[in-house]
Amino acid sequence: MTMVATSDDTPVETAAPSTRRQPDRTALLLAPGVLWMLLFLVAPILMMVYVSFWTQTTFKIEPTLTLKSWVTFFSSDTYLGALWTTIRIWLIVLASTLLVGYPAALFVGLFVKNKTLSTALLVLCVIPFWTSFLIRVLAWRPMLGKEGAINMILMKIGVITQPIEVLLFSELSVIIGMTQIYCVFMVGPIAFMLGRIDPSVIEAAQDLGASFWRIFRTIILPLSMPGVVVGAIFVSVMVLGEFATSAALSGRKVNLLGNIIVTQVGSLKWAFAAVAGVVLTVLMGAVVAALLRVVDLKKEL
Amino acid sequence: MRDKSWPELVGIQVKSVLQLKNVHKAFSGVPALAGVDAALPENSYISLLGPSGSGKTTLLRVIAGFEQPDGGEILFAGQRIDGVPPHERGIGFVFQNFALFPHLSVAENIAFGLENRAVDPVTDTRVVAAKVRDIIGLVGLSGLEGRAVTQISGGQKQRVALARTLVTEPSMVLLDEPLGALDANLRTRMRGELRTIRERCGVTFLHVTGSETEALAMGDTVLVLDRGRIAQSADAGTLYGRPASADVARFLNCYNIFSGAISDDAFESPVGRLALGGAQQKSGEPAYAIRYDRVAIRPLHASAAGDEVRIEASFVASEYSGAAINSFFTLDDGRVFEVETHLSHAAPETFEEKARYALVWKREDALVFV
Repeated sequence: MTMVATSDDTPVETAAPSTRRQPDRTALLLAPGVLWMLLFLVAPILMMVYVSFWTQTTFKIEPTLTLKSWVTFFSSDTYLGALWTTIRIWLIVLASTLLVGYPAALFVGLFVKNKTLSTALLVLCVIPFWTSFLIRVLAWRPMLGKEGAINMILMKIGVITQPIEVLLFSELSVIIGMTQIYCVFMVGPIAFMLGRIDPSVIEAAQDLGASFWRIFRTIILPLSMPGVVVGAIFVSVMVLGEFATSAALSGRKVNLLGNIIVTQVGSLKWAFAAVAGVVLTVLMGAVVAALLRVVDLKKEL
Repeated sequence: MRDKSWPELVGIQVKSVLQLKNVHKAFSGVPALAGVDAALPENSYISLLGPSGSGKTTLLRVIAGFEQPDGGEILFAGQRIDGVPPHERGIGFVFQNFALFPHLSVAENIAFGLENRAVDPVTDTRVVAAKVRDIIGLVGLSGLEGRAVTQISGGQKQRVALARTLVTEPSMVLLDEPLGALDANLRTRMRGELRTIRERCGVTFLHVTGSETEALAMGDTVLVLDRGRIAQSADAGTLYGRPASADVARFLNCYNIFSGAISDDAFESPVGRLALGGAQQKSGEPAYAIRYDRVAIRPLHASAAGDEVRIEASFVASEYSGAAINSFFTLDDGRVFEVETHLSHAAPETFEEKARYALVWKREDALVFV
């Protein structure tokens, strides 16, 4: 503790004379960002909360405050079902991206000793992003369809006699699609944290007699947790707000909160859309807050 | 006689704990170890001195098991260990940068090996705690058990790294430039501490360093590694007084060395004929070496006595280091000649820059390699 205190002393003292000019410049530098966030983040969120209390009739919406939209949302099986589906799909996709992403990150960040090669492999992970999001989602259709690539191959080699129908236009296809699209957001942060582990720390653990799994459990996993948390935040925020993948790959069978919002906005039901939006925002905030509880990112990064 | 290590010289029978026989290792065709032969005695402090690129870290990593040798034998306590994984060798390794587990506390770092080793882990937390407490006392870290290893000083980290290895009771500890990451003051203090800790544990320490003063100060036996081979293995006194070759003398950083050839009763050097009379050392590469502290500086008109060798040189500069003063001269062939004058012998003289002086030493003080 004393060490921290002494190292803090010097910069404070040396910075003192220049603090007089500091405030105006700080304000100047902050202004664009603050303005932007106020206009495009804070104001819309406040507006959304406000609109969720407006009175909605079939053809128009009036700024008369009412709880009607909220009551409708929480007493309707459709909306609550969508909320539940959103949470379920989010948890499954989070688990599957971690399951696929962690070993990949372990390989790229730790087992590949050559830094150039590991950077090249990370770039390879990003290559799918050269095509648009929608194309990547839609590309799963010819893969998973009844007469798609996977069914055709499996039938050719005689594993199945009937095409597997559950592959496309089901919850499974949505999960497959999302896992593929968001996996890289899990791989990146984890590989970064793993790459920062000093190889001699692992050698030291080896020298002290620990087996690979022990070293993984006691050294590698705890040291990569900040990466896992950052990756999980990326994936969570994106999956919770998803609507395009489920629309394209579920044949409208899977309705997420995102899909509800799109439909409601499409039919000009602004109040309902706002309610769903507020619920979704609160959910995301809770998820991010919970994830940040897992690891003290400020300390670890 | 001269090639033997000190236990053999003084006639004590000491069991060797580690034997290396013709150990080879190359990295993509470039040899790092070119046939290392050595026998390290039990219960002693051994320093391994080598300039950078001499293969000393490679040798240490081969002994520890992090690298596999291309050829040769490594025997540890009479058993061949090449091919045995690092943790089954009973050899502890202390890394240059300490390699502490950054997410664990001091006590957790030290307990790591006991709790997590694959062979015979200690599951009783009370036994672990007792052992950790003992070792923390031994290395002098009491009171810091709960600290994060990111919050302690360099010297304390060094102690944690050492304690972490010692607590697993290895038969030998390898230290890779253990003092390299510490500042000069701490380095001197840790030298003594390392030796004390080793004596209390009674295991062999093999300490790798690039600093000749550190190697001489710490090692009961000093091994000199040069171009992937052991150039000399001797106690500090023998090594300093009788380096086995001109190259070893050069690493010691205390000899002026002339190359040349022996003819009749003199050594033909670039600065003239130097009369013989001192010890001769077989090394295969003829050279004439005179220690910095054996040379006297005299006015140019002074002539040499019958048993002395005299050369002339111009004074360049001198460097004051408290107990001694080092004066630098340029010889006629442009090379630098260094003279160390101990101030307990004489008050510091002042010399005139660019003026010529006579440098004189006794014939018998010179070491001639033939």
